[in-house]
Amino acid sequence: MRFEQLNPFTVAVYYLCVLGIIMFSMNPLLIGIALLTSVLSAVIGGTADKKAHLFSLAVFLIAALLNPIFVHKGATPLFFFNDNPITLEATVYGLCAAGMLTAALYRLRDLSRVMTSDRVLYLFGRFSPQIALLLSMAIRYTALLRVRWRRICDSQRALGLFDDGNLIDAVRGRARVLSILITWTLENGIVTAESMESRGYGTGRRTSFAVYRVHKYDVIVMLICFLLTALSAVGVYYSKAVFYPALTMDLLNPWGITAAAGFTVLSVLPLIINGKEAIRWRLLLSKT
Amino acid sequence: MRVIENPRLRAILRYGIPFVLIPALVALSAVLFEGQRYLIISIGIVVLALLLFMTGFEKRNIGSRRMVITAIMTALAVFGRFIPLFKPITAICVMTAIYLGAEAGFFCGSLSVLISNIWFGQGPWTPFQMLGFGLIGLIAGYLSRVLLRSNALLLLYGVIAGVAYSFIMDVWTVLWYAGGFDWGLYTAAILSALPFTALYAVSNVVFLLLLRKPVGNKLNRIKIKYGV
Repeated sequence: MRFEQLNPFTVAVYYLCVLGIIMFSMNPLLIGIALLTSVLSAVIGGTADKKAHLFSLAVFLIAALLNPIFVHKGATPLFFFNDNPITLEATVYGLCAAGMLTAALYRLRDLSRVMTSDRVLYLFGRFSPQIALLLSMAIRYTALLRVRWRRICDSQRALGLFDDGNLIDAVRGRARVLSILITWTLENGIVTAESMESRGYGTGRRTSFAVYRVHKYDVIVMLICFLLTALSAVGVYYSKAVFYPALTMDLLNPWGITAAAGFTVLSVLPLIINGKEAIRWRLLLSKT
Repeated sequence: MRVIENPRLRAILRYGIPFVLIPALVALSAVLFEGQRYLIISIGIVVLALLLFMTGFEKRNIGSRRMVITAIMTALAVFGRFIPLFKPITAICVMTAIYLGAEAGFFCGSLSVLISNIWFGQGPWTPFQMLGFGLIGLIAGYLSRVLLRSNALLLLYGVIAGVAYSFIMDVWTVLWYAGGFDWGLYTAAILSALPFTALYAVSNVVFLLLLRKPVGNKLNRIKIKYGV
């Protein structure tokens, strides 16, 4: 099973673990690993195009510059700018924060791609069927509104009621389309509500359908996730990374190395799972 | 709308969150992290606050009609987020809240953010945005009698909501970036976000002005015609 096909709960737990460590560790070694592995996963998974990479680069540069310019804590001034010291500590912290932000953004882009609306619905349906119903109706209406918007626009345009070339005319036409859209959908919604009621909505417990099941594989992946996260967290706790007032780093003690190793494996877990599947697929093909 | 069916669990959450869980989190941060990890604690507290609001709505049934209309307004807010630059999301939440009640306003705000972030990117900011827009709706719902009567106050509410939302989200930006609160960075964030803050406030006012009459009339009509 590919990583994206696992139970949404497992996927959510995985991303929570990875993002948790990326965002809360503030450990230069782990942030370096996170940055490398996130870019690597994005490149291998093909989730980010050139524009996305450039955007991330811009975020990194801006974030790295912001801290030394505005924060003047730290014991080692590098040089003075407008009578304000630019310190080594603030610069290093800025680099780390920028790496953290960029890595987190890459991971969040992955998460958004994997967490489609049906999966979000599945996760919330567990928590409360009422919210799940409201969510599923809202998602459905979002799609429906788009279809109806285009339909009304087309018919109004075909009737010659507004001209796209004329700005004022176009805006007024759009306003009329919006008005029609809202009236139509609200009236239609009442019909939906009537239909729901006549079919017995609210008379009993509401259940919802889901295509996802919890397999043994999900449990195993989740356990591995928790184990690696615990290893990294304990390692981060025992290795020292203090930025202010002076840099005090003790990253390469046994605990620090454990954290780094655990986090590396955790970061590339989806790649490992998908790689295993790819190899198995090749083997199956070669046998036939 | 009763979010959690089990009455005992609901009672536990209602009293447990403000009196046990949130103080425990704050104490934990003071003892375990020596007051250093603001970010993780603030995310935890925001998620708990969202849960508290959602479980706090006590009335048994809001009725299927009101529910469907809330869903439609939520969808409209999501739809509106695709308009470049000018976002009508606040205006739609406020309209929903003053015509359909505070509860509907809260759900319209928070769920529209949750849904639209499927396209715009989920992240640790999602709970903050959900709480922000949910509160904009909730407060508008409580002030509905005043806001319905006076056009000027409604527009003022739009401006305040836009500015307050931006200021609160900047707190979050600083917490995420610096790991702690720093006035210098906060001022920098507010200054750099100034065009966006102005845009929020202006688009709130513009959309409230534009939508107040037509959407208000439509919602009113539905209310009178079908007794929502």
